[in-house]
Amino acid sequence: MKELVDFFNNIGKLKGMPRRGWVINDLKNKESIAEHTFRAALMAWILGRKKNLNIERIIKMALIHDLCEIYAGDTTPYDSVLPKNKKKRQRLMKTWPRFSEKERKAISREKYIKEKKGLEKLIAKLSPDIKKEIKNLWLDYEKGLSPEGRFFRQTDRVETFLQSMEYWKKYKKPPQKPWWLWAREFFDDPLVLEFIEAMDKKFHKKKKPRV
Amino acid sequence: MTEEKQFYLTAKKLKELKKEYDVLKALRVAKTKGEVPSTWESEDLNPEYLSFQEDLNFLETRIEELSNILKNVAIIKSPVKNKRDTVGLGAKVSVEIDGQDKDQFMIVGTLEANPSLGIISNESPVGKALLGFRKGDEVSVSSPIETVYKIKKIEYS
Repeated sequence: MKELVDFFNNIGKLKGMPRRGWVINDLKNKESIAEHTFRAALMAWILGRKKNLNIERIIKMALIHDLCEIYAGDTTPYDSVLPKNKKKRQRLMKTWPRFSEKERKAISREKYIKEKKGLEKLIAKLSPDIKKEIKNLWLDYEKGLSPEGRFFRQTDRVETFLQSMEYWKKYKKPPQKPWWLWAREFFDDPLVLEFIEAMDKKFHKKKKPRV
Repeated sequence: MTEEKQFYLTAKKLKELKKEYDVLKALRVAKTKGEVPSTWESEDLNPEYLSFQEDLNFLETRIEELSNILKNVAIIKSPVKNKRDTVGLGAKVSVEIDGQDKDQFMIVGTLEANPSLGIISNESPVGKALLGFRKGDEVSVSSPIETVYKIKKIEYS
């Protein structure tokens, strides 16, 4: 039982870890990684039902997908170009960072290795069967090996997109243009695209974002 | 759970998936005999395959998934010479965004898309919008914020 107490004790740290995207945007009441996981799991369940997916698999995937961040930390696409100066940083947040093919590959590889190591460290002392299950679910999510893995990659991001709109409505930031630039390249699942259209209608009924 | 749809794949990705399918089927046979197939020790084997080694459920799920993909595959071919100036599946498109930023996208089927590497799906709003346009064309993607993509170059491998 000691290894389970240690494991859950470690996981509890996610409740107090703010998501980095909100930190670099200087937002108030920053959502934690655990809070993101909570709603992403609900979305995976309810949207996943509409797609006739394996619900047990996708909910488990949602629950474990960010555990690696306890050791690996949270990352954003801005990290490698982030200025220390606050004004320059605010300017950067109005744009979507673009990288060369080589830079993209290096950033993606580094993130993957760091997160894989973080997850392995976290689950090292668990029993072999649960260790295997967590690792396989994470790999499925990372590599999109099953319809559940591919759909959850989009559900995870759409939860974050929803949060960004909620912040924008309340605090007028983060700037929304980079989110839309990214979203229109990233999402391709018809159900997720329909959900995004409904979010757009809800949040931009009275006022559309300009930046 | 399998998806009933056609999967557009590049020849390179199809080769990768066929290899994975063969390796996993060999592993399934070997596991029933209590052996590990010799291909399993090959150094060029995708390290992710190892995750299937001791998890039969996951192994079965992945074999079923690959079988479904290989049954419903459509290979992305380079277009004929007089169509190579038009954006189609498999094209690498260099664009200027809103007259400022430059970027390059490769447009593929959903299964092969990896937007963080600039490989985008033909079903994404940007991928879908660019299809059928030529060098010099300006493509607008709106709702709620308009973005204009000017096509600077189209390449096929």
